[in-house]
Order: sequence, then structure tokens, then C-alpha cells
Amino acid sequence: MTGFFSPPPLKGILSLLLVMLLLPAFPSFGATADLEQSVQPIQIPNPASDLWREVRQRDAAMTGSTQALGVDGGVLINPTGEKWRQFRMQQLLPYGGYALGAVVLILLLFYTLRGRVPIKAGMSDKKLFRYSVYERMIHWFMALIFLFLAFSGLILLFGRSLLLPLMGPALFSLLASASKEGHNLFGPLFALALVLIFFRFVRRNIYQKGDLTWLLRGGGVIGKKHVPSNFFNMGEKSLFWLLVFVGGAIAASGFFLLFPVFGQGRVVMELSHVVHGIGALLMLSVIIGHIYIGTIGMEGAIEGMKSGYCDLNWAREHHDWWAEKCEQRGEVLDRDQPISARGADALGTPSGQMSEEAGK
Amino acid sequence: MARMKFYCDVERCIECNGCVTACKNENEVPWGVNRRRVVTIKDGEPGERSLSVACMHCSDAPCAAVCPVDCFYTTDDGVVLHDKDICIGCGYCFYACPFGAPQFPEDGAFASRGKMDKCTFCAGGPEQDNSAEEQRKYGSNRLAEGKLPLCAEMCATKALLAGDANIISTIYRTRVVNRGASVLSRGVSYQNAELRAARGVKGKSSLND
Amino acid sequence: MIGELIDGPLWYIASGTFLLGVVWRLFSILRVGVAQDFAPPKGNGPAGAVRTVFSRFLPRHPVVTRGRLQLIAGYMFHLGLFALLFFARPHVDFIAERITGTEWAVLPHWGFIIASEIAFAGLIMLWLHRLLHPVTRLLSSADDYIGTVLVFLVMLTGCLALAQSFEPLRLLHLFLAELLLIYFPFSNLMHAFTFIISRGYTGATMARKGVNA
Ligand code: HEM
Ligand code: SF4
Ligand code: SF4
Repeated sequence: MTGFFSPPPLKGILSLLLVMLLLPAFPSFGATADLEQSVQPIQIPNPASDLWREVRQRDAAMTGSTQALGVDGGVLINPTGEKWRQFRMQQLLPYGGYALGAVVLILLLFYTLRGRVPIKAGMSDKKLFRYSVYERMIHWFMALIFLFLAFSGLILLFGRSLLLPLMGPALFSLLASASKEGHNLFGPLFALALVLIFFRFVRRNIYQKGDLTWLLRGGGVIGKKHVPSNFFNMGEKSLFWLLVFVGGAIAASGFFLLFPVFGQGRVVMELSHVVHGIGALLMLSVIIGHIYIGTIGMEGAIEGMKSGYCDLNWAREHHDWWAEKCEQRGEVLDRDQPISARGADALGTPSGQMSEEAGK
Repeated sequence: MARMKFYCDVERCIECNGCVTACKNENEVPWGVNRRRVVTIKDGEPGERSLSVACMHCSDAPCAAVCPVDCFYTTDDGVVLHDKDICIGCGYCFYACPFGAPQFPEDGAFASRGKMDKCTFCAGGPEQDNSAEEQRKYGSNRLAEGKLPLCAEMCATKALLAGDANIISTIYRTRVVNRGASVLSRGVSYQNAELRAARGVKGKSSLND
Repeated sequence: MIGELIDGPLWYIASGTFLLGVVWRLFSILRVGVAQDFAPPKGNGPAGAVRTVFSRFLPRHPVVTRGRLQLIAGYMFHLGLFALLFFARPHVDFIAERITGTEWAVLPHWGFIIASEIAFAGLIMLWLHRLLHPVTRLLSSADDYIGTVLVFLVMLTGCLALAQSFEPLRLLHLFLAELLLIYFPFSNLMHAFTFIISRGYTGATMARKGVNA
């Protein structure tokens, strides 16, 4: 065995302790001053502590081999696990909670201060065709799936601190299991909805001239003056792209978590979870704002998504360029005019969207 | 109360996997689950070492911290156990655990993992001690019978130690001290030729080989 | 207590109601009979009936173009539901244990999930279409909504119970399935059986008249 182990450098506290422990045992070491000065620190190797240091992977990844089957079996110590724990428990949970709370609070404050955004000219007796059946279908499909995923995900994230004390372990684990299974089954449907939404709405969401002005004036919140916009305004376009990119990241990271069968190790799963958690909370905060505007925040906003037609005055006030084009083209309908062919056709496309292209 | 700990002495472990087999047999662990595994570092290279790992029964257990349904608990003996009736199989404990102790019986497509299973320090679960129910879900409860985990009991070289932390550390400390002393006085165990040469200590020297 | 009720008596009541109800409904339709047609037949009626039962699985051209969405969603829902109802491990186990006594080939777990995802996507789309399309909205009755919601709830609770380790979740799923079984014979859901009769009738009368329908 001679020379089999090369002496590793002295690093650990354990070795030091050992030296101190052993010093009195060897009288020749102790007293003589010249020895103490000339001799380097005593190098007593301790393979055990060196090994532990290496498998802790402070410096480099050190994986071994094992007879046990399974991903990551050779990793003795995975230090990122603890980092992930710190992230989830000390950052994602509290700050995520604050963020959601803050969004709700800000919206409440805004509502009490500024109130509902009215249609200033009042509801007209004219309407414009805005969304086809198909467009409304995929919107509500996305909405349903998103809300389900949000609730089930939040139960997994916040349930232990908020619901468990109220419900007790037996009942809560029932709810958590249901949330988990539901979340896992509906996750891929979110990706499907994302794809459908993307292809249907992408053309109307390309940024164009005037969007910057809209942004600078905070969409009309800053100052009293109205800012013009097209079929979708700057805010809606940004929501769209946020959904595409952040939603895409949520879906992609979700798939890594959902299929731990491609040999991805724990580190990949932990990173995926970080992306998933941050993305989900960001998206949810924004969507809460979106829901606010659609329901109590603005008069007339939900009409288009409900019936497919929006009020002419609402369109003039919020999407005036688009409304103008529709009026020029003579597409204004009477409020109680029965269903138009285009409105009834599932795949019909509002012509305003076409003019969007032309108008650029 | 005692605080139960495992310690695997890398200088003694010979990668015989006896502990793994003992555990599987004693606890009738589900297929695909290894509560204990032996990992060999630097396999075939100088400095090769093997180590048997399972759950370390952490004092501040990461698995327990992240479990969304809070199904872990620590016994008076310092053993970290979990309740399979409550576990939802989310896998978070597996992400958080530094040692890869939590295992799952199923393949996992669509994150269907089944209930988490891990080393119990042969201490069963929340059910009545040594009941059939406990045996089925968690394996045997040797601690309740006054016995220590079978893996360590079976270890041929006594590399794997299990028991009260104080006793384990005393045993291990003694071993380390003895080994260190051997280095200096007799030159066995650790072939630190340089060191001995510098001290004029006798021993088999590899310096001039 | 409630669990035993759902697992035992209610299951027998529900499956009995379903069986008797379906038989009664079919019988009452068949009993009406077909009016005697004295004209000399120009084609083979029964052959036409069989042909039409199957040929109508293929949509006609106007349906493909104008109702593409309903067509795709409809097929997704029905095929997905069929696969998950009869070829998922828990269902096969249940049916084997309570009714047939034998098992048959099942989908792997992931196949089961994918089938239910397809079925969910189809069902939700169809439901939304019913709500959002001005024509189907006017055509829909309470029966349509009750049927849709019941099927949706059964599927949803089934999905929530996928872990198969929480008894109350299984019982909830079973309970809703029992409600569905009881509701089934007295609703539009009967189309699962009567589509054969209606297609067969059309096919037979048309073939007899020498019309290729
Ligand atoms: C393609 C879409 C998605 C997939 C595949 C997916 C998948 C997953 C998976 C596998 C988990 C791990 C939990 C478990 O296994 O039970 C998870 C957790 C979670 N998801 Fe998703 N998800 C998706 C979309 C969403 C969306 C849209 C939201 C929110 C708006 C969301 C919010 C969450 C939250 C909050 C958690 C819990 C994180 C925690 O407990 O630390 N997910 N998701
Ligand atoms: S499972 Fe892992 S984190 Fe939990 S106590 Fe055991 S070793 Fe520690
Ligand atoms: S798998 Fe079970 S024990 Fe592990 S964190 Fe999830 S619920 Fe808790």
C-alpha cells in the first residue's frame, strides 16, 4: 500500500484538532523552540475529512459510482438542495406573499381613490365587432386553466402556513394532494392554451408607433389627457408578451418538474422550480391587475370578451385608432342588431385586426 | 434523550453493500427504492473511498422544512420520520435533502411518484409500534425493540456505526486518534513519508522508493 | 358512514337506475316502431343502416369547414373520454371487481393522463363554444348544461383523486359518477346509445329509397 495515497494538503479543522490532540503525546515535538520555527505546520493527513470536503463539492463536482439505480445516486452531497430550501422558504414564500398582497392592496387603493374608469360619453347605442367566438373561447380556456393552476399552485406554496393550521393535517393533505394532481394534469393544458393564444393574437400585439407615448403617460393614469391606441394598447401588448415569455418559462420549467424521467438531476429540478415559482408569482400579480381592469376597474371592458361586441364609445375612448378605422369602414352596428354572420362564425376574424397591419 | 446518528467510517468501508441488502431485507423496501446506498468516490483511482449513506436524520432537517404538508416529525431520539398517510409525493424533500435520502416507488411521468420512502433509522412510523400497518408502510421498528438499525449491525467491518451520537463520536474519535498516533509512531495506516522523514520517525518510507 | 353508503347501496341504486333507465328508454323508442313503407324497396335497408352508423363518424364537408372547432373538440373529448373510461387502470380494476370479473389491457399511467388531458381540452372547448356562440347559446337547454357540468365534475374529481391514496377523494369521484349514472338515462346523454338508432333509422330509410345518405 506504500505510496498509494498521496498526502493531501492540510485544510480541515479536524486535522488541526488532531495535531493539538497529539502534540502532548510526543515530547520531542513540544518544547524546543528551534524546531517550532523551522518546521512547517505538521501535515497530518486525514483522508476522511478530505473526502468529505470533496464530496461537499465546494470546489468541484465530485460524483461517485453506486450500485443503487436512479438519477443522482452517485452524488453523495448535493449542496444546492440547501440553497433551494433557503430560496423557497426565505425568499419565494415571504416575498411572493408580499407581492401578491401588495398588488391587491394597490388595486384596492386605486379603486378607492380613482374609482371605476367610466365611459365618459356614456354607453352608446352602437357596437363594434371585437372578438370572434374562437378568440373568446381560447381566452376563457386560458383563463380557466390559469386560475385553476394558480389556485392549486398557491395551495402547495402557501397552504402549509395559511391553511394547515386551520384545516388540520388530514384534511389539508387531502386538499394538497388534490391540488398537486390537478396541477400536474392541467399544466400541459396551459401550454396548449398558450400556443393557441400566441398564434391567434400575435399579429395584433406587435409594438408600433404610439406605444411609447402610451407607456410614458402610464396609459392615461398619469395626467388627465387620454392617450390614443390601436386594437390593443401598449399595456395589453405588454401583457401579451409577458404571457408569452414568462408563461413560456413557467410552462417549460413546469415540464422539467413534471417529467423527472429524462435523467435530469436534482440541480435541474431545483433551478426549474426557482424559475417556475418566480414566474408564476410574477404572472399572477400581473393577471390580478388584468382581472381588475376587466371586471370592476373599467366600465365596458369585459363586453368584448363576453359577447364579442364592444361599445362604440368605449372603443373611441380606449382604442380610438381602431375605432376610427372601423367607423371609416362602416362597420358600426346597432346595439340590438342581431348576430352578424362574422360574429357567429367561430373562426371569424375582426377586420380591425387586418387594418392593424395596413395602418402600421 | 439520546440523539441517534449514523456515521460511516471511510477508512473501513469496503463497498460490500451488506448494509444495503440488510436494509432492503429487513424493511421490505418497495421496488426502485434504496433507503441506503453505497457510493464509491474515485472508483479505481488512488484515494478510492466508499461510503454508505442513507438519511442522516438532520437536526435542522431540510426535508421537513420544505414539505408542503408538513408530514415530518423528529422523535425524542432525534430520528426524522414522516407520515405516509399525509405525504402527497411532491418530491420537494428529495430536492432539498443533501444526501438524496428520500426515494419514490414510481417512475414519475406526470410527477406521479407515489409516497415518499426513506430510511427510518429502523424506527417505523407514526403508527402503533410494531403493528402490521407500520410494518407494511415503513418496515420494521427495531428501535422500539431496543435494537439498533440492522444496516449498522450487519456491517462486517464496523465501518457503519449507528446509535447515540455521543457513543458514536467517542468510538470514532478513538479510531481517529489511534490512526493519527500510528502515523507518527509506527508509520502504518497513513503513509506520510515526508512527514516521518522530516521528524526522523521510523517507518516504511515511500520517499526514496 | 357516508363512505359506506356511496360505496355500497348508492352504487347499486345508481347502476340499477342506469341499467333499467337505459333499457326502458331504448325499449320505448324501439316500441314506437317504423311506419310501414309500401313502396317497393330500391335498395337494402339493413345494409344502409349499418353503413350509415359507421359512415357518419366521418364528418361531411360543410361540417369540416364551418364547424371545424366543434368537430376537433368533439372528437378530442369523446375519444379521450372513451380511452380513459375503459382503459385506465383504476377504472378497469373497478369494473373488473364489481361487474365483469375479468380485466383487460390497460393504458400506462401517462397514457391515462394524456387521454384525460385531451378529453378535458375538448370538453372545456365545447362547453365554452356552447356558452359563447350566439346560436348554440340559444339552442342550449338546462339539460345540456347539467350534463356537461356533471361530466366535467366527474372528470375533475377523478383528476384530483389521481394519487389514489386518499379515500375521501375517491369517494367524491365515485359519488359524482353515481349521480351521473342516475341522471344519464333521462337526459341528452342518452345519445351515447341512441346515436346508433337514429343513424340506423336514417340509413335504412334512405337506403330503402335508393338515396345514398
Ligand atoms: C405548463 C404549465 C405548468 C406546468 C407543467 C406546471 C407544473 C408544476 C409542477 C410539476 C409543480 C411541482 C409541484 C408538484 O409536483 O405538485 C408545480 C408547482 C407550482 N406551480 Fe406550476 N405548472 C404549470 C403552470 C403554472 C401556472 C400557470 C402557475 C400559476 C399561475 C403555476 C404555479 C405553481 C406554483 C405556485 C407551484 C408551487 C411551488 C411551490 O410549492 O413551491 N404553475 N407546477
Ligand atoms: S431526508 Fe435528508 S434532509 Fe431529511 S433528515 Fe434525512 S438526510 Fe436530512
Ligand atoms: S414527497 Fe411527501 S414527504 Fe416529501 S415533501 Fe412532498 S409531501 Fe412531504
